[in-house]
Parts: sequence; C-alpha cells; structure tokens
Amino acid sequence: MKLKICGMKYQENIEAVAALKPDYLGFIFYENSPRNFEGEIPKLPSAIKKVGVFVDASVDFIVEKVKQYDFKAIQLHGNETPRFCQDLQGFKNLEGLDLELWKVFSIKDQFDFNRLQPYEGIVDYFLFDTKGKEKGGNGYTFDWSVLKGYPSSTPFILSGGIGLDEIEAIESFKKRPESKYLHAIDVNSKFESEPGVKSIEKLKKMISNLEGFKNLQGFKKQPMNYQVNEKGYYGDFGGAYIPEMLYPNVEELRTTYLDIMNEPSFKKEFDQLLRDYVGRPSPLYFAKRLSEKHNTKVYLKREDLNHTGAHKVNNTIGQILVAKRLGKNRIIAETGAGQHGVATATVCALMGIKCIVYMGEIDIKRQAPNVARMKMLGAEVRPAKSGSKTLKDATNEAIRDWINNPVDTHYIIGSAIGPHPYPDMVTRFQSIISEEIKWQLKEKEGREHPDYVVACIGGGSNAAGTYYHFLEEPSVGIIAVEAAGKGVHSGESAATSQLGKEGIIHGCKTLLMQTPDGQITEPYSISAGLDYPGVGPLHSHLYKTGRGEFYSVTDDDAMAAGLELSQLEGIIPAIESSHALAIFNDKKFRPEDVVVISLSGRGDKDLDTYIDYFKL
Amino acid sequence: MNRINTALKQDKKLLSIYFTAGYPSLNDTAKIIQDLEQHGVDMIEIGLPFSDPLADGPTIQESSTVALKNGMTTQLLFEQLKDIRKSVNIPLIIMGYFNPMMQYGIEAFCAKCQEIGIDGLIIPDLPVNEYHEHYQETFEKYGLINVFLITPQTSDKRIRFIDDVSNGFIYMVSSASTTGAKSTFGDTQQQYFERIEALNLKNPQIVGFGISNNETFMQATKTAKGAIIGSAFIKHVTQYGTGNIGDFVKSIR
Repeated sequence: MKLKICGMKYQENIEAVAALKPDYLGFIFYENSPRNFEGEIPKLPSAIKKVGVFVDASVDFIVEKVKQYDFKAIQLHGNETPRFCQDLQGFKNLEGLDLELWKVFSIKDQFDFNRLQPYEGIVDYFLFDTKGKEKGGNGYTFDWSVLKGYPSSTPFILSGGIGLDEIEAIESFKKRPESKYLHAIDVNSKFESEPGVKSIEKLKKMISNLEGFKNLQGFKKQPMNYQVNEKGYYGDFGGAYIPEMLYPNVEELRTTYLDIMNEPSFKKEFDQLLRDYVGRPSPLYFAKRLSEKHNTKVYLKREDLNHTGAHKVNNTIGQILVAKRLGKNRIIAETGAGQHGVATATVCALMGIKCIVYMGEIDIKRQAPNVARMKMLGAEVRPAKSGSKTLKDATNEAIRDWINNPVDTHYIIGSAIGPHPYPDMVTRFQSIISEEIKWQLKEKEGREHPDYVVACIGGGSNAAGTYYHFLEEPSVGIIAVEAAGKGVHSGESAATSQLGKEGIIHGCKTLLMQTPDGQITEPYSISAGLDYPGVGPLHSHLYKTGRGEFYSVTDDDAMAAGLELSQLEGIIPAIESSHALAIFNDKKFRPEDVVVISLSGRGDKDLDTYIDYFKL
Repeated sequence: MNRINTALKQDKKLLSIYFTAGYPSLNDTAKIIQDLEQHGVDMIEIGLPFSDPLADGPTIQESSTVALKNGMTTQLLFEQLKDIRKSVNIPLIIMGYFNPMMQYGIEAFCAKCQEIGIDGLIIPDLPVNEYHEHYQETFEKYGLINVFLITPQTSDKRIRFIDDVSNGFIYMVSSASTTGAKSTFGDTQQQYFERIEALNLKNPQIVGFGISNNETFMQATKTAKGAIIGSAFIKHVTQYGTGNIGDFVKSIR
C-alpha cells in the first residue's frame, strides 16, 4: 500500500513532508481551492512521484503543467470524459512519458460501478473520494463498505477525510477482498494545521502506526540527513556561536560561499589547480599485501601523494579562491603540527597573498621543519603564547586576529570545525576525496560503493571528505578512528567521542573534551594532527545518530600500523593516517569486503617521531 | 525594577568596572565588589573565567588563566556571592562565555543568578539569534537582563534587531578589536559613536573595549550613557593589589 500526501503548497513544508519519503506528493491546480498551487516545487528525491491534480482543466493547461513540474501522475478531479482521458493518453504516448493517469469518482452513500466501465483501459487508477460540497478536501470519509464487490481489476486509491482516527478502519478494510486492488491511501486536510500546511508529527504518527506504511523507505531513512541545515546545524550540532565582532565576516561567508563555489569560473579554476598543481586525482591503490595480511580487500586513497603531502591542500586551494572572490588580501590560519599552515602558506605564495600562521609556542618547538617550510614560503609564523600554547590556543589567536582585522582578512580554517559555514565549506572542498573514490572504485571493482570507508579524526576534515558522498548510502559503513593517546582513560588521550561532552568550542556546538566546569582541556596524542579537544559537528552527529562507528587507537597501535604499512607496501604514512590503518585490531572485515582507507598524509614530517619511537 | 534599569535612569554618565573573579587571589571577589561600590562605581561586571576567551585581549586572558589556576569555578563563584546582597546594592552583571554556563545548565545558572541577586548577563559568544530562539524565555523568567554587543561593523538593521531584543542597555564595542587599551579614540570612533546616537535606540548604550583613563572615558560618554573599563582595572590590581581601588576610580572621573 502506497501513501499519497495531497494539497502541498509551501516550499518549506513540501521539503519537510518529502523527507518522510511518501510515494506520491499531490499539487492541486484549481483556483477555488485554498490549496491551489503556484510557484516552484523544490527539488525532491526522485523516488517521490509528483502528482498534478486538475479539475476540468484543458489538455493544453495540463500538458503545460506536466512539462513545467515534471509530474509523474495526473489526477482528474472534475467531469473529465473518457474521450478527454484518451486525449491525454495520446499526449503521453506521443511524448513517451512515464505518466500515470488517475480518474477521481466521488462517492456518498452509494455508487454505480457502471460509471467506471467507459474509463477501463484508458486510465491507470481510479481514486475514490468523498462526495461533498467541495471538489475534494471535504474532510470526512465515505462509507468504504460501498466498495464491497468492487467489480473492476483497475487498482484504486482510497481518499477523502482520512486521518489518524481512520487507522483502525484502514487496517480492517485491508482484510476485505476488495482491498486486493487498493493501490494507495490519499491524505490531505486531516493532517493539516492550516490549508496547505501538513503536520509532520501527525504524518509520522500515521506512518508508524499503519502496518502497510511501516516499510515506507522514506520513514526509515528520514532521520538520515547528514547535510547541514539552513541554520548551520547537523542535528544538534553546529551553529555559529561567535562574538558579535566576528558576525559580519562569518555572515559574509555564509551568504556567499555556496554561490561562489557554484560559479562555473570558480569550479574551473578549482578543478584545474587540483589537477595541475595538487596532482589530483590521487590514486586509489589496491594494497595487495595489506589485504592478504588482514584477509579483506583494502584500498588506500592516496592523499599522501598530494602536493604538500596531505589532504589539507584541497581545502586551502578552495578557500584561497573564495578569499580572492571576496576581495580579501590578507590570510590568517591556525596550525597544530604545521601541515595546514604549510598548505595555507603554499596557496598564499601561489596567489601572492600575505599569510600569517598562528602556531602554539610549544608546537613551534616540536615542529621546526614545518615552521621553516612556512617561512620559506613567505608566511609569517606567529607564536600563540596563551593558555596551553598548542593548537586550540593557536585557533583562539587566529580568531582574535580576525576580530581585529574584520575587513581585509580571510581566515582559512583547516578542519571541518568552527562556526557555520566553515564545517560545511571545508567538507565540500574535501569531498573531492569521496567523489574520486566512487569512480575509481567503479573502474576497479565495478561498483561505486565500498563496504566501508575508514578515516582518522582530529577535527575531521579528511574524514568528512572521505565520507561525504557515502553519507546517505546506508550500504557503506562509515568508520572513524580517533586517537586514544596512551589509552582512552589514561588522562592523556584525544578520543573526543568517548571523553567529550556537548559544548561550544571555536564557534560551534559539538562534542568536546572539558572539565565538569566547562573549561576546555588539553588533549594528547603522539600525532600532532589529532590532538584537538573537539571534533567537527558533522562527526558529532554521525556519532550520536549511530551512522558512524567510532574507534579509538592508542599511540602504540598506531605506530605499529604505520610500521606495518611501511614494510608491507613501501608507504610510510603520517602518524594521523596510521591511526586509521590500525582499524584491523578492532574491526574484523569479511574477505569479500571492500574497505577504503583514507591515507590522509605522508610520514616525512613524522620521521623524528618514528625515529624516537622505534629507536631507528 | 531591575537594578540595571534603575541605574540607567540616573541623570549621569555611568562608570562600569569589569574584573575577573578569582583574580588576583581566589577569594578577592566580594571585597572587590564592595570596594567598587564604596568608591562610587555605578555597575560591576563579574568575569567568570574561561579557558578559551576568544573576545579578550592579553590582559583579561592572563587574568582568566590565573583565576582558573587559583581554582575558580562557576560553583565557587556562586558560593562567594551568596551573601553579596547583604552588603551591596550596585547592579551586578556576570560576564562569561557560554560553555561554562551550558555545563552548569542554563536554567540552573539563571535560577542561581536570581537567587543571589545578579541583574544581568553578558555572554559574548551567545549570538542574539540563538538567544532569541532558545534562551530568552528562560533568562526573562529569572529576571535577568541579557546584554548584547554591537561593533562598528554591525549593520543598522542588525542593531535595530538587537535593540528590539534588549531590555537594559547595549554594549557598544568601541572598535574592531579584542578587549584591551587603546591610548585614544580617533575620528573613526567618534563617527561611529555619532552614527549610533543618531539611531535613537530605545536602549541606552554603554561603551566598552579600549577605555582606560579619564580621556577615553570622557570621549566615550560624550554620546553614550556610560563606559566599561576592564583591562585597565585588571592591570591596576595586578600592579597595586586590591588595596587602593579608590585611586583607580578617582583617576577615571
């Protein structure tokens, strides 16, 4: 049994109702109806068939609307003759359209079934509505026992005043022989708060209480929305908790970033730089020996082969192009280990834009080679001397710089964190990773969807990019690997999903490590790129909804996995990526599983740490 | 009537002082408040220290770090203030970042404020839209005035929205900056002060950020109802301790 929701009118409501994924959504073109539809229909999932409802309209009018709105069904609600219906069939055949034709019959206490006869074979469905003053939308049901002995084999739709009170009646109707031809239930006014506005709560109730609807694909899938909403939230997480001083900058970005990213000239420049400068597409490499070792099919997405040695540059290329279009001539960035700082300094050199990178005083000492690289690229590296003098403090300093330089400066945030629109913007720039995985896997395995995608998570930018095009695809398992440091509960860890509580960090509501009093604590990991006390809001949402499986990997297990990859495949990974590679300790895959692991960066920068650790 | 509104009705320019609770010593809070009232200050902002104060310059950052090291917490601040209304009548505002309040529980935090006799809150990282949508009802239920910031970059339209949502005063940030001293205000600031005055807002404005001495105080209050001093006061207690707060207040007006 299918569900049609009729009398849709308002954009937002249409979108909310569409999220329930009913089989049909009806749009009425009848001026006397309070639900008369005008305007645009937002883009709907292709599984939902749009139905145009007409009352004694001309063929030309109907044809025009079908073309304009891409209707998949026409519901004729007036005194349309069989001949009229035949004309419409002619149009349909002529255009080769996949179009269902529904003819409505209104029933009061009795019905002469002979009236159906002339329409048999011409229309695809009959719809039985309540006869009343109005053309539909009368708000009460007819006596369904009239349908007893239904003489036709044309499937029908039951309509007219169906509400939550009718659930029992529908269930019992379905037990009767005539229900064999029941194609769908059509609902409208009983689910409205006002004409044309459907109550999502009531619809959900209907769907979950009616046996036949429980399998509605949409209802099961409905909570699975992983895109940021218009207010900047992923479920409960995200938003823009920023001081007023930052509002104009962030607001400028929020109102322009999507338009800029969609400009053909932007796309062209972005794609070209990714190809010719970064060296994309990065290979999707079948790791044969690693696969044998772990008895499953492992592919590595080789972000380590990008220019500057990690995925970070995908985002900095994108953001520098945005900054240019916003007319900014000064770039600031924060960096922990220096990878994002180097990627930012690189694109600033490329574009000839002034670059200032904030880096914790302690990190500057720990990461001397990257500091030197940034300087060689012409960037100024400013030490963050406040608080714990590491990444979170560098981020604070960059934000303070932005407050003090609101007009000429763009802040290139390096991870999928910060106030909206940063998490979404960074995710979109990094989504090139999963975009490529899809077609590369298609070439190698004959399918676009792996069984699992695996990525390490600090703030979560490489993970967000690796997951992005698979988020709405339930067959693809999403695995996130956090840094457990010396053990999740050792007091020296960065396993945010395990240790974090909901709070505000750097302008967004997300999971973060903090004291009971709400002071943000200092995380620890052997990998400088993973020791961030928060996690991007998308990932908090994936964690909370259960869409993502989260694991924590200790320093020791990560280092062992890094060594294993080096010696099995001849690839020395960044220690961040080594965490993702350590997934095999915690998760057993089947031999036939296709597991794609994001190899987010190369290990050159970590050589000192590897040397110390392995006494090389 | 809320003490803030009463103070704003006075026919004079108001001097408001910010200090970080738990600084320089953990238990200075009540004494600083009492001294400030005694020396004729009109309003007090009690800073609830936070580990990551985004909107603050080096002076207040440092005082917050020290206060946290001293052991300051939200709970402790409420304990220190529990009898404060027995000794002072000055309007008291808690200024802090949103995360510690969230962790305490927004409703519990507001209820505690009312119980103690706190009159208002300033939360730089709680934007007006979020407040309006999710928290206004709770704040108002406990009689708290929430104060919003505006800056030279804030559009007239947004200022009018903030004016609409506010029911005390508007915190006018003097320039695009974090907290901390500027030696003087230039033409840009004057023009901004005049632009805001011309909007004829229903809420009076109090200027903050960059007020450090008599000169900047006078400049700021030429058009505005009052001014807030934070960093300069922190520097004073850092240098001279809490013994001669009166000297500082005298130097301002």
